[in-house]
Amino acid sequence: MKRILWVSSLCLWGVIITLICLPFGAKAQGPIKIGIVDTYSGPPTTYTYDVRDAFKLAIDEVNAKGGVLGRKIEFTTRDDKFKVDICLSMAKELIMMEKVDILMGTINSAATLAVSEYCKGEKIPFIVTFSKSDKITGEKGHRYVFSVTENTAMIGKAAAAGLAKRPYVKYWIAGDDYEYGHALADGVWGNLKRLKPDVQLIGQSWWKVGEPELTPYLTAISAAKPDAVIFATGGASMVNAMKAAKATGFAERIPMFIHTATEHSTLAPLGLDAPEKVIGTSNYHFYYPDTPKNKAFAKAFKDAYGREPKVGALYGYLAAQFITRALTKAGKMDRERFIDALEGMKVDSPVGEIEMRAYDHQAMLPMYMGVTKKVAGYPFLIATDIVTIPASEVMPSIEEIKKVRGQ
Amino acid sequence: MAIGWAEIFCQFLVGISRSMILFIVCAGLSFILGVLRVPNIAHGSLYMIGAFATFSISKMIGGTYGFWVALALAPLLVVVVSLIAERLLFCHLYQREHLMLILFTFSVSLILGDLVKIVWGAEYRSVSPPEILKGSISLLGASVPRYNLFLIIIGPLVGIALWLFTTRTKIGKISRAAAVDREMVGVLGINVSWVFSFAFLVGCYLAGIGGALVAPTVSITLGMDHTLIIEAFLIVIIGGLGNMWGALVGSLIFGVTHSFGVLFWPQFAIVFPYMSVVIVLLLRPRGLLKSVW
Amino acid sequence: MGDKRKPSNAVWILGIIFLFLIFIPPFAPRFFTYILGLIFVTSLVAMSLNLVVGFGGMFQFHHGVFYGVSAYATALVLTKTSLATWIGFMAGPIVATLTGLIIGWFCVRLTRLYFGMLQISLGSLLWAIVFRWYSFTGGDDGIHGIRMPSLLMSLNNSYYFILAIFILSLLLMYKILKSPFGNTLQAIRDNPQRCEAVGINVRRYQLLGILIATFFAGVAGVLFVILERSVFADLLFWVLSLEILIMCLLGGWFTFFGPILGTAIIISLRTFVGKYTEYWTLILGIILILVIFFLPEGVMGYVQEVLKPKMKEVKQEEKGIDASSGIGF
Repeated sequence: MKRILWVSSLCLWGVIITLICLPFGAKAQGPIKIGIVDTYSGPPTTYTYDVRDAFKLAIDEVNAKGGVLGRKIEFTTRDDKFKVDICLSMAKELIMMEKVDILMGTINSAATLAVSEYCKGEKIPFIVTFSKSDKITGEKGHRYVFSVTENTAMIGKAAAAGLAKRPYVKYWIAGDDYEYGHALADGVWGNLKRLKPDVQLIGQSWWKVGEPELTPYLTAISAAKPDAVIFATGGASMVNAMKAAKATGFAERIPMFIHTATEHSTLAPLGLDAPEKVIGTSNYHFYYPDTPKNKAFAKAFKDAYGREPKVGALYGYLAAQFITRALTKAGKMDRERFIDALEGMKVDSPVGEIEMRAYDHQAMLPMYMGVTKKVAGYPFLIATDIVTIPASEVMPSIEEIKKVRGQ
Repeated sequence: MAIGWAEIFCQFLVGISRSMILFIVCAGLSFILGVLRVPNIAHGSLYMIGAFATFSISKMIGGTYGFWVALALAPLLVVVVSLIAERLLFCHLYQREHLMLILFTFSVSLILGDLVKIVWGAEYRSVSPPEILKGSISLLGASVPRYNLFLIIIGPLVGIALWLFTTRTKIGKISRAAAVDREMVGVLGINVSWVFSFAFLVGCYLAGIGGALVAPTVSITLGMDHTLIIEAFLIVIIGGLGNMWGALVGSLIFGVTHSFGVLFWPQFAIVFPYMSVVIVLLLRPRGLLKSVW
Repeated sequence: MGDKRKPSNAVWILGIIFLFLIFIPPFAPRFFTYILGLIFVTSLVAMSLNLVVGFGGMFQFHHGVFYGVSAYATALVLTKTSLATWIGFMAGPIVATLTGLIIGWFCVRLTRLYFGMLQISLGSLLWAIVFRWYSFTGGDDGIHGIRMPSLLMSLNNSYYFILAIFILSLLLMYKILKSPFGNTLQAIRDNPQRCEAVGINVRRYQLLGILIATFFAGVAGVLFVILERSVFADLLFWVLSLEILIMCLLGGWFTFFGPILGTAIIISLRTFVGKYTEYWTLILGIILILVIFFLPEGVMGYVQEVLKPKMKEVKQEEKGIDASSGIGF
């Protein structure tokens, strides 16, 4: 018995020591290294896997042509389990140990803000791929952080622009009780009130993140008989909200707006059981815009991974394009020159030409507002009656950014 | 905002139906706690496996019967998983300290969580309720989803079945006796290990049923074990450890206060479960009903 | 007990480890300095938890709250006020101890699992406040980029600061456990009824134990802010508390240094195995189960057993089956 214990503990230590020592292998002037720290476990993977896979697809293509600046691009991923502390220490590991040149991630806003502050101190370019907080490029923006995804300020503007064209007056706001939910609701409501001053807010409900049973909330909301409801939810709650809306018949009676309701990440898991007539906004649909570029992108993605690209794929693609183009333009892997090159850069994408705004480092993405509908030929619902809200109407103005930054 | 009686009634029904799922899961947890004295953190993972299995089975069978077959088979799959875990691991550890058991069941939940990820992937999954339970019924002017009414019927059925099992069958009586005094049961010449194993499986079966029943109402994701397990432990604690009726009372408190809270005071819904636990435990430090510990 | 038998040995080992730690930053890669700092901070929380769990026998299930509250108190003083930095550093432990007083006052009325679950509920109420009060605590976005005095800006300096405070806290905790108070606390753990019978006010001792533990958790909270310069609501969530408890149990909850080992194992596992696989929690789970099966007293308990086989026998004679008590190595 004693011997077994000794042997097993020796083995354990052996494994641990080898693992610690492995990274000391010599790594000289080789490929350009990109580190991605993101959540690869739990519900957020619906979004993050697409970012990673589309990024890989685009980078493989670049590498097949010989890479950039004569060097290959190599990227390595870390799973932060959606925890801020783990994310921060993994980001530090990527920067200090792996010595990555560029960092990418994450889907957790708190983690993104923490990593962003760290990158600011270390002068490492950090490209945000999924976090939606408008503080990232707004209030807390700085030279080293870039965002290729929409943020709550943009969602608010886009949704308000779309909703103002609709006849509803009495609104109810409901959502996930966390920063994203509140920021989204405030964004939509503030802008809507400005565009259409006669709208009224007759009530609000907030549930905890990941709340499994939303039926009580929906019945409570129906009791108040609003003209329309703005749902500020994200992630797993999206699917729950859609299911509850379908089961209670809520979607039939009261128009509901949910950001990303029309997005494939939400609609795919529901199959044909999603409610129709839900108004939603999204940055990307694999079937819209119906351009050759988008079709080619969707096909390449589907060929590689056997599924349709979701919105995350657009962000992954954009990140890869921005990085490779900016590197080419910078002429060598120099972080400061890379940033200078990236500012104001325009790249072509499945949704048209996208500019990285020089002032706040926020990618200028258009938004598509549509309504869910069953369409023959698809095993899930898709968005129809799509209205494009151009980037110019979506982006917060530079004056607004200046104001929140206290300049 | 005017709230009519119809809304209150409807909200009450919805609250009860939510309690029923909680009750089924917590009765299992409480049963294991009572008989085996194991605070089983992995119970949540079994519930999650039940939900994922329901998804796979109902998708495989398809059609109208898919869900019903899944409802029957998914909990059995959970039982198989827990049988393996019990014979391989749990049965050697029943005598350990509670904290060690928490550490152990936590490790099992880590392993099961990752296994679920390996088997089912990380996507959201969704199960649709059978045709007959889709949509909602108008009751006194408010619309209640049919599925919730179905839960209100099935919850008491499971409760009665469990009650009959523990009071009318020999094995049930032995496990109740083992809950009170396990040495005595051993002295009587009964194979305690076998009784424990059986009781464990019954508890896990209930977790599986809970997972199967919840599947059509939520998105099935990794991490649903976490949200459930903490609530389940709180419910079992306020009900009285190991007391099945305590689990029922606890679940009703959680479900109904939650849904009324949402109706009248939605901004603070997040703190209701914790508030109710604090209040109950300060008034009755050993839970509402008699604990078997 | 261990070091009375062979004081020189233990002191020597500790001294060598200490010297080694002092010379880490200039020579090792920066990341190691950081990870060691993180291990010190986290193991200070785990050790403070062990004061009440291992030596006090209480089911302190939501210890992370005190750690988080202290980190938030420090962060808020440093970002929202213009008070001196040291006031912020003092605020952390003070707020943590006050929180410990309030939560502990309720909890000591209950026993075991009831104690633990009440604490989880009370702690979660605090978490909900931090999580929801956007204007004050930053909600779930947290507070980031907290400014430190220039002396603590560099990683190496903050490492030395953390190391110094860590060692000081260890000495204090050791003294406390060796004191009559510490002995009483352990006596209460082993037999509360008997202690009650001989006239010890069990609840008061337990509450005092909680206060001391929360104070050190508060110290760790301040160190966390110094190391990471960020605070976030996750720090008060029950999952983190569970992790800390696991670190404690893994290392060996009846030993003084066990929690450090447990913390080191878990942090290095997730950092260095996380490089190679997403499934590091699976590996962690398997390792934990192996430890439970083969090293029932935790890793440190086992090390102790191997290093000092004689001591173990003596102890078993002293205390019967529950031999694992007392302050070992």
